[in-house]
Amino acid sequence: MSTDTPSITPLKETWQQLMRGARGRSARLRASLIALAVAAAVQGLALACMMPLFQSLIPTADWQGALPWLLTMSVLMLISLGIRWWAQGFDYQGYTVANTHELRTLMGEQLRRIPLELLQDKRAGEVNATLLGNVDENLNYLLTVAAMMAHALITPVVVALVALYFDWRMGLILLLVFPLLIPLYRWRRPAFGRGMQMLADANQRTSSDILEYTQGLPVLRAACCTGEKAAYLSGGFLELEKIQTIGQQKGAKPNLILATVMELAVLLVVFAGILFVVQGSLDIALLAALLVIVVRFSEPLATFVLYAKVIDIMEAALGKIDALLSIKPLPQQTPAQLPDSFEICFEGVDFSYANTESATLQGFNAHLPACSLTALVGPSGSGKTTITRLLMRHADPQKGRITIGGVELHAIEPEKLNGLISVVFQDVYLFDDSILANIRMARPDASDEEVETAARAAHCHEFISRLPEGYQTRVGDIGGRLSGGERQRISIARAILKDAPIVILDEPTAALDTESEVAVQAAIDALVRKRTVIVIAHRLSTIAGADQILVIDQGQLAECGQHHKLLANQGRYARMWQAQQSIKAWHFTSSEGVVS
Amino acid sequence: MTALAWAVHRLLAVPDQWPWLPMLLAVVLTVLAYVLRLTSFNQSHYAAFRLETKLRTQLSEHLARLPLGYVQQSGAGALAKVLMEDVKALHVFVADSTPLYARAYVSPVLTFILLWWLDWHLALVATAILVLGVAVVSLAMRNSGEMMHQYNRAGENVSRAVVEYVQAMPVVRTFDTGTATFGRYQQALEAYRDIVTRWYRMAGVSSRLSQLILSPLPTLAALIWLGGWLLSQDHLDTGVWLAVLLVGTGMAESLLPLMSLKHLVAKTQMSVHRIHEVLAEPELPVPEKTAAKTPENASLCFEQVDFCYTPDGALVLQDVSFEVPAGTVTALVGPSGAGKTTVARLIPRFWDVTGGSIRIGGVDVREMLPETLMQQVAFVFQDTFLFADTLANNIRLGLPEATLDEVMDAAKAAQAHDFIMALPQGYDTQAGERGVFLSGGQRQRITIARAILQNRPILVLDEATAFADPENEAALVAALANLMQGKTVLMVAHRLSTIRDADQILVFDQGRLVERGQHNGLVAQAGVYARLWHNYEQAQDWALTGEKV
Repeated sequence: MSTDTPSITPLKETWQQLMRGARGRSARLRASLIALAVAAAVQGLALACMMPLFQSLIPTADWQGALPWLLTMSVLMLISLGIRWWAQGFDYQGYTVANTHELRTLMGEQLRRIPLELLQDKRAGEVNATLLGNVDENLNYLLTVAAMMAHALITPVVVALVALYFDWRMGLILLLVFPLLIPLYRWRRPAFGRGMQMLADANQRTSSDILEYTQGLPVLRAACCTGEKAAYLSGGFLELEKIQTIGQQKGAKPNLILATVMELAVLLVVFAGILFVVQGSLDIALLAALLVIVVRFSEPLATFVLYAKVIDIMEAALGKIDALLSIKPLPQQTPAQLPDSFEICFEGVDFSYANTESATLQGFNAHLPACSLTALVGPSGSGKTTITRLLMRHADPQKGRITIGGVELHAIEPEKLNGLISVVFQDVYLFDDSILANIRMARPDASDEEVETAARAAHCHEFISRLPEGYQTRVGDIGGRLSGGERQRISIARAILKDAPIVILDEPTAALDTESEVAVQAAIDALVRKRTVIVIAHRLSTIAGADQILVIDQGQLAECGQHHKLLANQGRYARMWQAQQSIKAWHFTSSEGVVS
Repeated sequence: MTALAWAVHRLLAVPDQWPWLPMLLAVVLTVLAYVLRLTSFNQSHYAAFRLETKLRTQLSEHLARLPLGYVQQSGAGALAKVLMEDVKALHVFVADSTPLYARAYVSPVLTFILLWWLDWHLALVATAILVLGVAVVSLAMRNSGEMMHQYNRAGENVSRAVVEYVQAMPVVRTFDTGTATFGRYQQALEAYRDIVTRWYRMAGVSSRLSQLILSPLPTLAALIWLGGWLLSQDHLDTGVWLAVLLVGTGMAESLLPLMSLKHLVAKTQMSVHRIHEVLAEPELPVPEKTAAKTPENASLCFEQVDFCYTPDGALVLQDVSFEVPAGTVTALVGPSGAGKTTVARLIPRFWDVTGGSIRIGGVDVREMLPETLMQQVAFVFQDTFLFADTLANNIRLGLPEATLDEVMDAAKAAQAHDFIMALPQGYDTQAGERGVFLSGGQRQRITIARAILQNRPILVLDEATAFADPENEAALVAALANLMQGKTVLMVAHRLSTIRDADQILVFDQGRLVERGQHNGLVAQAGVYARLWHNYEQAQDWALTGEKV
């Protein structure tokens, strides 16, 4: 409808966003919105028919004279209703749904393309999840709101224009009174936005307070301070209530003024009419007709401002969608290349995460020969995980190059790059689906037999067969009943099935109990054969046999070489090794505490 | 509106006189209506705000008294959602629906009465249209229960798929060469689209029809036609006609709010249900203050403890009896799922035992006040949790009167002092969102500092060293050694070498205590422990090898 009321400029932006959001359906959406406007205009005409109609009925009823107007009015009403019917088809024939569907699909694809670094932040993840989840709630009321706004704005203007013809004074008053709404509306809208923002902030705060409380309950309980924290929490609740109340008070008064102004404006029209009638310069029939018509307007006009809220919500959602969709994926160099060997090279790589000042990696150099085993060791926070992330291209380094088989990462298509690397993380993410599907995820075209072979190699066939429904058992149904080691082996089966030439192991056995550990170790042994392997391990004995050990410290390569050489160096690695050997010997003893 | 009609009526009757009275009435009524509406709106909102605060406070207090096991099982996130979203949904209901109720019920009734009083012909027509509209609405609503259900389910699936998709993005990327995981997301979306489309198509015509019929236009047209005809037949007074035209559409119009009200109520019901569920969860029974006992010493004793999570579930622990004398170290070992962690968590009453009893210093844990119990026992769990507060406050949690010196002493003993001082703001550093910028080992040491400061006679450690890297581990071990001095210790451990010299090793298998003794004796028995020990040694010796070896 904003096309017909260009005076409301802030809507123009929304309009453009809407059209962008509607994608392939923008023509139909535009048509529907325009149709709503036309329907509102025709309705105005229909209502305007009452003026001549009443003139022929009041004060003396002339049925013959009234009939044509009656018919015209009815026909116009039918037309208006018909157009609206068609316009609402955008909703009812599934265009809206198809549209939100497409938007979600698009955003989903976008999430796969944008640098993963941006999603690592938990909050960002939540925001995106909400955004994707609420697309429909945010946009589904578009037509309903548009119809209401058209009614509130266009219909009165049309009536007023027609009234000009019958009595210019009344027409003029009508024309002057109703546009009053627009400045009022503009005056209120930013305030709405501010209020909403304040409220949203307060809600956000309370929300995270609550989450912290529920997550921290065991600790609080153990510390005997649930009471205190609960008090703090209810303090937050009270604060929220206060803000809500303020918002209500602040919002209510101007709304009252607005609504009352509109009601009074309607009354004013009537008064003026009555005045003219009393003076004898206005036909009473005309006044009666206008009265019946104008009363129709008071409600939509009074509530018009409230729609601003809905528009704000839509606008915010559209803005966020736009922002998400406009994030540039990491650049892809053309022509795309595919490496045919799998040695990995880091050359002078500098990297720092967004929003941090200090560099995570600085001038990092490393060469990982094909089919070799390279271990990354170093204290936590030294940049080990970052190195693997850069290899998977979660983000691009600010300086330097990373190559696989001589091909720079950004020359490899993202899907191809993903296909080259298998990762086994410390914490395993299983999807709420059957175990079969979870393993097959790595290679969707794998046959059941291939999945089973991979599962056997990963030492999970046995425990899977023991499950009530074997490979068809849904992970969600047994959730906690899979132990850490079992979950880890499923993830290794995935990696084996994927059969990628490069394998990254990030602390895969750290969180396991001893028995699981032995099984997972066997599974890993099956996985790493004939591949280029990068392993992050804290237990140095695990990686003592590696072809190459890279000792990372504060984002730089501190030492590099094989176990014996590094021990002989008497450097950082040797110190770590000795520390660990002494811990191995460490154990608790009886009452006097500890000996080492 | 009626007043306006009256005004015109008077105007018709006495054309050259000012209709003061009715006009004044109209103004007064308008203002009055708005003031009343505003007050009611405000009142209902204020009431809703108060309700929100009350409910949340009540819920959070209730949570504090529930068995911790329940909190863990339900998931902190889900409970937080009840406290936040469901309570908010209730707010919408209370605040927005009350005024809606008034409009949906009062105004059509008044209109109805007024219409019949004014002119029965016209009233009949208006009512007829209303009935037609209602009929069509109920036609549109037919099957809507079933559809609504399907719709909700599809919607839930979508949000689950979205969360899974976003959360698992790193996995999605690595294992996804294009189709599989995205397919799952896509499937959920498509199912949703199909259901919504079907619903729209099915209910589309009747729903649009009902909207048309119930919109004021048809009523207005009918009233004008009939009224005009009646006027021409002189069966109707002009004033009455005008009055009818002014108020006549009220009945049909108020039906739409009624429908949205229904929708609102249905939506809220789910929330109310969930809130109720949480509130109905029985609290952990607490003894009377006067009957409460305090333990005599720091010994710990399990007597024939049976435990299962659900009344009809399998026993997780069966006939477990053991004693931990004050000042000794006892280790719990066993394959995963053997019940070690459950034993550790029964002590702080995450759940209560199904059979038997747990005694501390000779007193059943159920006969102690929760505060007393917690003052006896400190816990260090694998899952460390830091609050969004300063590190100092995280350490002195529960002991707000502890001085900074005491906090520092505890941190020093926990080997946390050095890395804390290395942070730009030292002890005043905020532990970020769940303390993410600290490594697992660092967070663990802060938790240990907390336990050291608490200085309680009994210590329960669950896998305290699991997440440490080598350099951290050395520090962690030193920290634990400081913590354990002179305490009664019960520890769950996987790294068997650490517990070789424990005073007592309890070996669990499938919920039963199968072996007990000291390391050497147990290894000699060639039972479960011997097998675990063998595995452990094997795992320790595991080394990844490159292709060349």
